[in-house]
Amino acid sequence: MNKSKDVLLEVRNLKKYFAMKKGFFGGNTQYVKAVDDVSFYIKRGETLGLVGESGCGKSTTGRTLIRLYRPTDGEIIYGGKDISKMDDKELIPYRKKIQMIFQDPYASLNTRMTIGDIIGEALDIHKIATGKEKTEIVHDLLSRVGLSPDHAIRYPHEFSGGQRQRIGIARALAVKPEFIICDEPISALDVSIQAQVVNMLSDLQQELGLTYLFIAHDLSMVRYISDRVGVMYLGKIVEIGESEELYEHPAHPYTQALLSAIPVPDPDIVKNRKRILLEGDVPSPINPPSGCRFRTRCMHAMPKCAEIEPVMKEISSGHYAACYLL
Amino acid sequence: MNKENILEVKNLRTSFFTHVGEVKAIRGVSFNLKKGEAIGIVGESGSGKSVTSMSIMKLLQHPGKIIGGDILFKEKSIVNTSEKEMQSIRGNEIAMIFQDPMTSLNPVYTIGNQIKEAITRHQNVNREEAKNKAIEMLKIVGIPSPSDRINQYPHEFSGGMRQRAMIAMALSCEPSLLIADEPTTALDVTIQAQILELMKKLKKEINTSIIMITHDLGVVADVCSRIIVMYGGLIMEEGTTEEIFYNPKHPYTMGLLKSIPRLDLGENQRLVPIEGSPPDLLKPPIGCPFAARCPYAMKICEKNQPPYFETDKNHRSMCWLLHEDAPKVEVDTCVKRGKI
Repeated sequence: MNKSKDVLLEVRNLKKYFAMKKGFFGGNTQYVKAVDDVSFYIKRGETLGLVGESGCGKSTTGRTLIRLYRPTDGEIIYGGKDISKMDDKELIPYRKKIQMIFQDPYASLNTRMTIGDIIGEALDIHKIATGKEKTEIVHDLLSRVGLSPDHAIRYPHEFSGGQRQRIGIARALAVKPEFIICDEPISALDVSIQAQVVNMLSDLQQELGLTYLFIAHDLSMVRYISDRVGVMYLGKIVEIGESEELYEHPAHPYTQALLSAIPVPDPDIVKNRKRILLEGDVPSPINPPSGCRFRTRCMHAMPKCAEIEPVMKEISSGHYAACYLL
Repeated sequence: MNKENILEVKNLRTSFFTHVGEVKAIRGVSFNLKKGEAIGIVGESGSGKSVTSMSIMKLLQHPGKIIGGDILFKEKSIVNTSEKEMQSIRGNEIAMIFQDPMTSLNPVYTIGNQIKEAITRHQNVNREEAKNKAIEMLKIVGIPSPSDRINQYPHEFSGGMRQRAMIAMALSCEPSLLIADEPTTALDVTIQAQILELMKKLKKEINTSIIMITHDLGVVADVCSRIIVMYGGLIMEEGTTEEIFYNPKHPYTMGLLKSIPRLDLGENQRLVPIEGSPPDLLKPPIGCPFAARCPYAMKICEKNQPPYFETDKNHRSMCWLLHEDAPKVEVDTCVKRGKI
């Protein structure tokens, strides 16, 4: 894949396996291959969207990037340095550069801390500011995300879902990060509130020059916010490309099926379009199918697909997909 | 009551008497449902759409109470029926599918047992017949090898299969009304597509009336022929699916349509959110509940609750803008006919 100077983060052959204890006597341990050989890069200032069904490993990828998990194998190169094997102490400066916004705005805020303390905690930990200066930064952050500085003394239960997600965003911004991992930041919110949060995220990106990894299962929202989109299936990226190109000319049968499954809020289009219905469910990531992982649900599957795994192929500039049909 | 209607809800009002005061969750809701028809109720959380369905099922839990209005099911009022009578209607004539298939199945009974329970409870059949019926239902909803699956427990089923099992259970007594409360919200898009296709197929084959409650306008566009838009415990707008999407009259409906990204329109559009947040139903606004967030709000909107204005035979909206003296408002909702 092309490497230019402005690549902020590059992931090479990232793997994350979770061990499952099997049997009383230990025996042979099985592994859930949540992320299995994933490579991609993100340029400075761009948004990469990551989509896929639940269990495809998109959240695990995000959590491994921020080193909440230790990768099983592979490299995470951030700003030229491999952070995949660093210990906690070495990671501290990177914790300031990489931040995360979580899915559930109800579970990700400590109910016993005031909003001011929640946002200010990171400032204490990284010794950025104390006392009056800290209060000022907190107030500034609150008004930046559309809340009032008076809210700093209130507790999370006094806020609605959309407001809590704003608090989560303010907390992530507190340490002036360069890169934010947004793990399903809007899926718990109402439709009318989703648009508020998404617009705010893109305004902040413009103002502060942020880079985003945007993880979601809502494909239409991902297209809206992302410059490039990667589609994951059972721990692998099956297709990645510029979002316009990927949505207009999906190459992988899985991407095609995924796009055709989105409910369109337009009755005429709904009546006239052909839907590709995928049979069955996603197979277990403990024993993924041999060869191409999508072959068990793919309508074009050939004998070859079961034998050797297809490799990523460049179809057009910057648009890659892994399928024998191409 | 109109003979064609299977369900008539008349000026229904439901409140929750909490320790901080009366939360007026539904403040006068009326609608009809014809036999074999599918209607969608859309709205955001707190708009009263789920409380409407719980009131119809009479599954409201303390401190919730129906305080006014009437619900006629098959020309009979069910507001004052006893719990015993309700039990023979619930599951048998009115069935419900819940949002979360993970928590609405009992984990300690097999799938087969739970479906059989629904059948033997309401129909006069022996165990063998009930078992065969359960297998048949699982087959109809598309679960492979149903005679083995019937002996498995919910944890052995995937999310989509659990929702199928729920549908099988709901339809096992061939109910004349099916209430689906966010049936696909917890599922992935590919599984959602499977379930929606299944519901459309079943509607055609069994001729069940469906009330589909959801916040996803794409889902109702697919399944329902008529849409009710709720906000702040009231119906803001009601009309055929085509009318609601292509000719919305209420600013809230327009706002909803504008705040969803459209795949088919490309990237250059910016989402237009509805600013602010929903009203507090402990102290509901005196006027139009949407007035505080409405870009076209006038003085009268805050003082008086608007009546329904009928703009078409099957299209009514609660908005002062439709009054003949109100200024005319032109809004582009991006959804237009005939561009595919």
